[in-house]
Amino acid sequence: MRYLRWLLVPIVVVPLTLLLFHGFGRDPREIPSPLIGKPAPSFSLAALDGTRLTAAQLHGRPYVLNFWASWCIPGCVDEHPVLLEAERRYGADVQIVGVVYNDSPAAARTFLDRYGDGGWPQLSDEGGRLAVEYGVTGPPETYFVDATGIVRGKQFGPLTMAAMDDRFAALLAARAAQ
Amino acid sequence: MRRIALPIAAAALVALLALVLVNVVRPGQPPTRAQSAAAIAAELRCPDCQSLSVADSHTASAIEIRRQIDELLGSGSSSDAVRQHFVDRYGEWILLAPRSPVAWALPFGVVAAGVALLLIWLRPRTAADGGETVSAEAAESEQLRRVRDEAEALDA
Repeated sequence: MRYLRWLLVPIVVVPLTLLLFHGFGRDPREIPSPLIGKPAPSFSLAALDGTRLTAAQLHGRPYVLNFWASWCIPGCVDEHPVLLEAERRYGADVQIVGVVYNDSPAAARTFLDRYGDGGWPQLSDEGGRLAVEYGVTGPPETYFVDATGIVRGKQFGPLTMAAMDDRFAALLAARAAQ
Repeated sequence: MRRIALPIAAAALVALLALVLVNVVRPGQPPTRAQSAAAIAAELRCPDCQSLSVADSHTASAIEIRRQIDELLGSGSSSDAVRQHFVDRYGEWILLAPRSPVAWALPFGVVAAGVALLLIWLRPRTAADGGETVSAEAAESEQLRRVRDEAEALDA
């Protein structure tokens, strides 16, 4: 009996500590996307400049879909220079596409005028249909789609410079492997 | 008087039976599309709010999800298929109640384990623990003896 009592310490305390350590180490809002490895949802949306873009037009080239909003502060403001840098570094091989999430086109335009317009298409997702198709829970969220139209990754929250390099390199490696 | 009372009682009995029958039969009828849509919306988590169902929220995503539920039910999808449609996009996170039976059983399992531990802990001492009792007594008598020795030393 006395030995059992001492055995209780590792049996109870160790797994509980590990569980808490694991639980507090992650963001409860960060949900793994079921879309990864599956075909990307199709869309046909008007851009802020009046042109129209469909998912089919992007086929054959990896693309990055970035859901953002002008009211998403500080996340989208912090992320914006990272996207501008991504366009400079990888723009030749990867198409960046912005999706304005739950925001007015005018407010989105003001944001781009203020923080810099990278020149990539900015789609207006009126009603949030594409956001629901992708399972977006809040901006910024970024989805990485390979040249064959398969979702390869999801970034929850703002992209940092280091995360951006890793993500784009992985996307290009997926393309090279094909 | 009695001649009127009997038909009235019979009529009342028939009315009561009819009422019971209607209430028993009615739940068996399939829910309308609006009822199904409302039931599904109440089970789905609103993606862009805190702890609210799609039915209780007015955000863009909640409105869009309600629209899609109605559209899918209208095109002949079953309630389960509609739920799965959103699970395929958001993961099981979108369901307010988890589907895994483990999630429901776990709290009861933890409580049962806790009670079992407590019972082991509070169990009356057995013969195996006897040694401890004796040693405690021995320690006490040892202390008593020392105190007595000290007292005697002071007296001397």
